Amino acid sequence: MVKTIIDAHNVSKTFNPKTVPVHAVQNVHVHIEEGEFVALVGPSGSGKSTLLNMMGGLDEPTAGSVIIDGVEITKLSENKLIDFRLHNIGFVFQSFNLIPVLTAKENVGFVLQLQHVPKMEREKRVLTLLEEVGLKDKINSKPGELSGGQQQRVAVARALASKPKIILADEPTANLDSKSAANLLDIMAKLNKEEKITFLFSTHDQRVIKKARRVITLVDGKVASDVQQTPT
Amino acid sequence: MMLLKLAWLNIWRNKRRTIITATSVFFAVLLAIVFRSLTDGVYDNMIHNVVSYSSGYLQIHQKGYWDEQSIDNTFQEDQQLYQVLLKNSKVTHIMPRLQTFALASYANKTKGVLVLGIDPIKEREVNNLHDKIVAGEYIESVSDNAVVLGEGLAAHLKLKVNDTLILLGQGYHASSAAAKFRVKGLIKLGALELNNNVVYMPIQQSQYMHGAENRLTSVSVMLDKATNLKKLKQSLQESIDSNTYEVMSWKEMIPEMDQFIEADSTAHYIIIGVLYFVISFGLFGTLLMMIFERKHELGILIAIGMKKRLLALVLLLESIMISLLGCFAGVIGGILFIKWFTIYPIHLTGELKEVYEDYGIESIIYFSSHEKIFITQTLVVLIVSILLAFYPGYKVMKLKPVEAINS
Ligand SMILES: Nc1ncnc2c1ncn2[C@@H]1O[C@H](COP(=O)(O)OP(=O)(O)OP(=O)(O)O)[C@@H](O)[C@H]1O
Ligand SMILES: [Mg+2]
Repeated sequence: MVKTIIDAHNVSKTFNPKTVPVHAVQNVHVHIEEGEFVALVGPSGSGKSTLLNMMGGLDEPTAGSVIIDGVEITKLSENKLIDFRLHNIGFVFQSFNLIPVLTAKENVGFVLQLQHVPKMEREKRVLTLLEEVGLKDKINSKPGELSGGQQQRVAVARALASKPKIILADEPTANLDSKSAANLLDIMAKLNKEEKITFLFSTHDQRVIKKARRVITLVDGKVASDVQQTPT
Repeated sequence: MMLLKLAWLNIWRNKRRTIITATSVFFAVLLAIVFRSLTDGVYDNMIHNVVSYSSGYLQIHQKGYWDEQSIDNTFQEDQQLYQVLLKNSKVTHIMPRLQTFALASYANKTKGVLVLGIDPIKEREVNNLHDKIVAGEYIESVSDNAVVLGEGLAAHLKLKVNDTLILLGQGYHASSAAAKFRVKGLIKLGALELNNNVVYMPIQQSQYMHGAENRLTSVSVMLDKATNLKKLKQSLQESIDSNTYEVMSWKEMIPEMDQFIEADSTAHYIIIGVLYFVISFGLFGTLLMMIFERKHELGILIAIGMKKRLLALVLLLESIMISLLGCFAGVIGGILFIKWFTIYPIHLTGELKEVYEDYGIESIIYFSSHEKIFITQTLVVLIVSILLAFYPGYKVMKLKPVEAINS
């Protein structure tokens, strides 16, 4: 039995509808099942970020609906939506994901504190996660003391911390060198396999695309192709 | 806890800016404290000096006396009343008085005068009356058969020490009161009213002259400078027979002085208000910078599930922390400053000293160290920092995560 975890139904987004309308996303249908590892690709301006933001409840579609694990998030109030994100969606952004004044450990623990996870359990989970992303020796470093790749790995650990259903990552490797990018993708793929977490990430990078098991291509805000592949 | 820590770490992201902002709060608070402490100290000193000659901080008289200040509204001197009053730890001195009006004449000059029947010993302990003697001597005891005159009054009557003064007045229960007294000394008082009109007379002589044996018009009560007048008035009133006696405070008896102080204070509040207003702009600017340069980060926090309310709370804490940092430093600075000048008070010199002494006020600048001053400043700063944090809070509530993250 496979379960649909993301259901974007006929989603459209038009910016500046009254002045110079930009149809960033148009009538997109996307179904993603639990445990998938999906790359969202397409030329610059094709609407990847816009679509990801709507799927993560950070932005509202002009039309259509987004259903995450059975909950129609496009209908939630602002506060409910923030709470929904806290418990169900992990985010990794392109860069500067972390709170600069907190250490790696504190950054990862932050979401757990927002979730009121007790201290003991929190500490344990934070250590496990940082170990999984290979940063056991950097737990007390501030973001400024970490490389770009290490920061992104902390961000992945943080996204995982709240035990979300999905992790959305908008160009997580854009600011990384190819070695760090490959390393980050390997970690994501491993977590996807081991923890059954659904990943959806946008990227321009051919080598990153190769690691995905499914590739959705957007062109001019529409789905141009949607193919399964064997990662290499 | 986490929010407090986060706020604390955040304010030190830009150390220099935080220090500059906190320093400006520090100077504002220090200035305000020193200013208030100085003016309050000067007021306290003025009040103390004025009431020591006149009404006392509190005065006890027979019910109805204040409205009809006649010798018939006097009361029997009562040792028990003294004991009750002195039992109160805030009361430092009591001064029984018999205060009447009479016609004074010498040779062919006549003038209406205020006859103050006093206990010379008790009086001098409070207001150093004996130091103000400019000719002759001070009266020694309650029964001394001599009087001391205000210098101005003596000049008006063209009378010198050792001359004999004739007094004519109304005695107790419509009897007539007349007596002759040797003028033992002349006294120079800062308050012109008194200087031109007063005759100090030993209280027993006065009682005898008025046919009012053992009777008093009032008992003036002196207190520690920093006593809460209202509370003490109430507690004294409750401790004595309220059917016979009435307690009044100097504010009721000398309303002009109270009004003067109120008006003067208002002017000072305005100056301090302007000072705080200027400082508020600095703090506000800092708070705005703090959210604008952190917009991306705030967007991320909202995205990962931090409620906007919590985020606004962090900003509020940051505002409070920066300002309280400056405020506490200012309070400590203020305390040290005031301590210093309490140990080494400023003695006025030159003209200013003379002006003060002419008015019968000690020529020393006192600083008030009333805790009210420090608490008020801290509260003001706290309230300002909370009010100022509303705007950043409002900005956060309006923040759209996508826009913030992309900025
Ligand atoms: N806030 C906005 N206001 C107006 N237009 C916008 C806004 N955000 C995005 N757009 C437009 O919507 C379109 C899709 O943008 P989007 O950022 O989703 O593309 P993308 O595929 O993520 O591009 P890239 O690969 O460069 O990140 C673009 O034409 C962009 O100019
Ligand atoms: Mg994009």
